[in-house]
Amino acid sequence: MKKIVAPDYGLGETVKSHAAAIKVAIKEAILPQTVTSHYPGERRRMPDCFRGYLRFDPEMCISCFQCSFICPANAIGMREAPDNRYYPTIDYGKCIFCYFCLDSCPGGALKPTKVHDVAYNDVDEMLTPTCDMIDMPEIIREDERYVEYKIDEHDLSLERVKGLDDLAVELPELEKISMVSVCVAPENCLSCRVCEEVCESGAITSALDGDEIRMTIDTTTCNGCGLCVKECSMQVLRLVRREI
Amino acid sequence: MAAAGKFEWKIAIVNKPLKDKTYFENLKETVIDTGICSRCLTCACICPVDGIIAAKPVDFPDYKERCTDCGACVRVCPRFDYKPKYGMGEYLEFVAAKSNRFVGQDGAMVTEIMMSAIEMGMIDRALFVGRNDEWMTEVFHVYDPSQLEMGTLTGTKYTFATVLKDLKKAVLLSKKGVGIVGTPCIVSGVKKLQKEYPLFRERVKLVVGLFCTENFHYEELAAFLSEKGVDHNRLIKTDITKGKFIATMEGEEEPVTFKVKELEEILPSGCSVCTDFTAVEADVSVGSVGSKPGFSSVAVREKNAAEVMDYIREKGYAEFGGDAVEKQLEFLINYKIGRFYVETAEEEGRDKSL
Repeated sequence: MKKIVAPDYGLGETVKSHAAAIKVAIKEAILPQTVTSHYPGERRRMPDCFRGYLRFDPEMCISCFQCSFICPANAIGMREAPDNRYYPTIDYGKCIFCYFCLDSCPGGALKPTKVHDVAYNDVDEMLTPTCDMIDMPEIIREDERYVEYKIDEHDLSLERVKGLDDLAVELPELEKISMVSVCVAPENCLSCRVCEEVCESGAITSALDGDEIRMTIDTTTCNGCGLCVKECSMQVLRLVRREI
Repeated sequence: MAAAGKFEWKIAIVNKPLKDKTYFENLKETVIDTGICSRCLTCACICPVDGIIAAKPVDFPDYKERCTDCGACVRVCPRFDYKPKYGMGEYLEFVAAKSNRFVGQDGAMVTEIMMSAIEMGMIDRALFVGRNDEWMTEVFHVYDPSQLEMGTLTGTKYTFATVLKDLKKAVLLSKKGVGIVGTPCIVSGVKKLQKEYPLFRERVKLVVGLFCTENFHYEELAAFLSEKGVDHNRLIKTDITKGKFIATMEGEEEPVTFKVKELEEILPSGCSVCTDFTAVEADVSVGSVGSKPGFSSVAVREKNAAEVMDYIREKGYAEFGGDAVEKQLEFLINYKIGRFYVETAEEEGRDKSL
């Protein structure tokens, strides 16, 4: 049977932490105020696959709305930025941290972090605008060390490590989503070229060919963002799996 | 798929009479500015950037920035390459009928046909024109007969409606098909859409046309009626019978009546060039003329409409009052043709009496 062993604190440390707790209790009795303190005082080092607060890189975003489409909790809203592009905002009051948005992002603009304990003063504040998602949230930390779970052959043990855990996660470059846009009903196409206008990767082009307009989707450069599919007013475009 | 890594398709370019101008400018100069626009809004239905609005006249306010110059509006406009339709058109049967289930204008057969088509699974939504308390028209998507209980969806409104603007949305949302009711100009627009784009051919399953002499702009008709002493907030029903406009108001025993001829001063220019009284292109045309009071005249033209009529007969949803009289329509058909002739004669400076 596996058992979890608590780290050994030693006598001096134990007395010190008890004294700190009594100090807080006395302070609260004389001058009551709301206090939020971390418990336990030490954090566990989260694994890299931990799903926490999301970070956003506008440089990588292609405004394809995939994150807001896929969000099962309807937490992601797209807002127009001063540069006339649409970027996601996340309502952490609704977010269920499923990371579907991150998985569906074709450009890799959404990045994971291990931050999981962000406090808000009210519900409105939980709707995080895009500008607040770019940098890591500032975290005031009282802890100086973190606890790592060590799993050996028989037991699960905790080990205290000095220093702070890095809460940002660097992911290896995302694999290209193997979707590609194709025209399923060319006879319904209005040749309005709205798809060409919205295509970020320049895969859709139009050219005059005699008395016809030739529309072309370059399937090698198409990044499968689905922006053209969304914008097509006659719904003639469809995303299909890329044939390998 | 053409070459590897490329997906190609081609679309024929639409003919453009004014070569150095955009398609919308072509439409504006040849149809809207010349006053032959019927305000059917087929162009607004197909416009990929949803820029054409139902103003008076129809307009695309910021076309310089937003128009993609695709030519779809010109391709579907029934008045762009206008070939006036007239007469009774071809029909399989022309009968007088009265719905047993619904209350509406005359025999309420439009409502009956649409609801029966929904019931038999031919269509899953029908576009109806409702109205608000001020008698402004609104488009409603009807899926279920219970939606008709509000009572404003049936009955004639005599003002332009934006039914066609909603058609693309309805078509893309529907699973089985869409039914649409409209004046002859709207029917022509739908038929043009069906001719040009398979999407509409497959999904618009039933087109009901209405007998129509003219339709009015809301503001003009409202101003005209209030001059005649009609209070829009109390108005229950409007009707045109035997050359008289009849407006029935709540709490008034005697309806306000006047001769339809008086309405000529607010007749929209697009209606004065129209010669189609019976909606000859529709799958089925319905109107009051040609049958006795309380009945609708139904001219079944296409197979799909005949199926619906057979269903109505089988279920006994309507009472049939024998054949409708085609002769009674002749006067109005000729009236519209005559009006068109006078209009064009004026333009060309010919003698009107000819």
